[in-house]
Amino acid sequence: MRIVLTLALLLAACGPAKDDRTTLTIQRFFGACEAQYGAVTDVAKAEGECGIMTAIINRFEAENPDIRVVENIVFWPGYDQLTAQLASNDAPDLVTMHGSVISDYQARGLIAPMDAELPKIGVTPAAFTGAARAAVTIEGHVWGMPIDTWAPLWHINMNLFREAGLVRGGKPVLPRNPQELIAQAQQFRQRTGKPYFVQGAANEYAGYTRNFYTFVMQQQGDLFADPRKANFRTPEATEALRLFKDIYDRDLTTKNQDYSAAVAGFMRGDGGVFLVGTWMVGAFDAAAQKDGALAGGYAVVPYPQLYPQRDATFADGHNWVMPTNTERTPEEHAAALRFLKFFAAHEFDWSRTGHLPALRAVIDSPEWRALPHRDALARLATAGTPLPKGVRRQFPIETVVGQEAAAAISGAKPIPQALADMERRVNDILENL
Amino acid sequence: MMRSRNPVAIALVVIAGLLMLAPMLWVLALSLKSNAALMADTNAVFDGAFTLENYVAILGNGQVFRWIGNSLIVSLGMTVGVLVLASLAGYGFARLEFPGRKILFVIVLLGLAVPEQAVIIARHQLFSWAEWHNSYPALIIPGLSAPFGVFLMTQYFRAIPKELDEAAMLDNASRFTVFWKVLLPLTIPAQATLGIFTFLHAWNDYWWPLISATNKQMFTLTVGIASTQMNFAQTEGLGFLMAQAVFAGLPILIVYLFFQKYIIQAVAGAAGR
Repeated sequence: MRIVLTLALLLAACGPAKDDRTTLTIQRFFGACEAQYGAVTDVAKAEGECGIMTAIINRFEAENPDIRVVENIVFWPGYDQLTAQLASNDAPDLVTMHGSVISDYQARGLIAPMDAELPKIGVTPAAFTGAARAAVTIEGHVWGMPIDTWAPLWHINMNLFREAGLVRGGKPVLPRNPQELIAQAQQFRQRTGKPYFVQGAANEYAGYTRNFYTFVMQQQGDLFADPRKANFRTPEATEALRLFKDIYDRDLTTKNQDYSAAVAGFMRGDGGVFLVGTWMVGAFDAAAQKDGALAGGYAVVPYPQLYPQRDATFADGHNWVMPTNTERTPEEHAAALRFLKFFAAHEFDWSRTGHLPALRAVIDSPEWRALPHRDALARLATAGTPLPKGVRRQFPIETVVGQEAAAAISGAKPIPQALADMERRVNDILENL
Repeated sequence: MMRSRNPVAIALVVIAGLLMLAPMLWVLALSLKSNAALMADTNAVFDGAFTLENYVAILGNGQVFRWIGNSLIVSLGMTVGVLVLASLAGYGFARLEFPGRKILFVIVLLGLAVPEQAVIIARHQLFSWAEWHNSYPALIIPGLSAPFGVFLMTQYFRAIPKELDEAAMLDNASRFTVFWKVLLPLTIPAQATLGIFTFLHAWNDYWWPLISATNKQMFTLTVGIASTQMNFAQTEGLGFLMAQAVFAGLPILIVYLFFQKYIIQAVAGAAGR
């Protein structure tokens, strides 16, 4: 007994010293890169989503010695884990969340409104871009602090565009309507022997959905006039699918490639325009600095406006939200706000990831405009459009819409049938909330 | 006595072996290439320099050895627990007469038909209520319910002649002594089968640790290494992803190397029985 007691005392003596710092639990995706950036506090030296996020958090901890940051890194996107945590009263203080997911948590009272909190740290909703503000605003209240906006883009192989005669004044010639798109794509195919589009479309439905939403939005189509009831059997939806089916039928796009094959194919010069998001800007720009198909010939632009009604591109974004937690102390709450203020001050650093800044002031800054290709992307601040915030379950809906769109475009189903099935399946989800 | 060897059979076994080995070699080769090279073209695996940078990135994560430790504690804890409980229950069902024995055995067997998905929410709420999440008991205890183990041990005990029990009891052995010193040593092959399968199941388990261990200090290796993946890891971090697969699979490979004799015996025995 005496030995056990002695051992217990020894163990207690060897335990960690009492830590008086306030603990701030931050839960995020974007992966872990401690080996490379674990000790980096100079944010300017970090690259990529994971590196920049890690360096910002390291810097925050270094500048705020009274706060101990516990960083929970979750497997993307981490919502199963978050839901489990909330169910077991183990809510983190701050969580990264897609704008398209916020309504799922907000509707169940699982995240706290930030209207009163953000002004305390000098961040007002008026400072956000329209796209970023739309991502966090539900029923007139702000439910998070936007980190960025991302959207699908047209990544362009300028070397092939030049070969196809589609470069004027050093800039890519882009279509202004569906007829021009088909004509330019056919010209591209004739002169280069390659498809105009590169798409990661096998086992990957998000791309179909983003294209579909974008071109319905450009026609002022309203898929969710009632957020609880989808309405997909419309002329605008039919036209959006018809356009991509036409592209598919005329062999103006790569086919049967998954996401990885499409990325590699674009870098190899397999096609002219790769339809993928903001997150690839850095990787393709780096490839353009080296030998290869993109060498000295890479450009990127938001989706061109093909329909006269509206300049719009489907957009989503990353945000910080604060889960509700009645046990959070005032000190922990204050620490969370200090972190948000710190992050907002480093918004430019985050924008080096390729995503569009959430703060208008950063977009207007000369340093952001000086980053590669950013001038061309600034249009996203106004054109980027999320789905209506009242629409819940947007992640599963994205899969359903993508599956049916893929079926229509590949010819597996007639377009009216695919739209009817899309509407029925989405409404099944929305009716069972 | 040398058995005659059928060259066709041997050739088929070699071909089958190579077919099974090929994806593993592919994974290993990819893990030794840089992510940037693989993003541009996976054919990069056939040329250029190999690198250990993906393994350095894994080992550079300060938590990874803690996650291995957690996996070991959980897997060993679950294995020991299942062996103890299944052996005792198996002995009870095989040798003891008590009211409701048959009904109880059927109820245990019905557990084989209940998938984890069907009980996961109730289980999560139960552990939430007990405030046990993010603890070793929460990771181990659900795995102790092992209907297959009880069934296997019951069948093994039933196959042992009752005369052995009677002979020991004539020598004044207590029932526990009979169980512990006479019968249990005879069930070593079954224990090995059950132990190995339980260990492998616990080591590879992902779903329950994912939602029960939400604090990174309590992650098991499967959850921990998944958490380090970036979005689009299959494209932008393919080498790292493959290195993770190799790293997570190594302990299992070691278990197979050391216990392959028992595993083969166990599988053959289980099939024969």
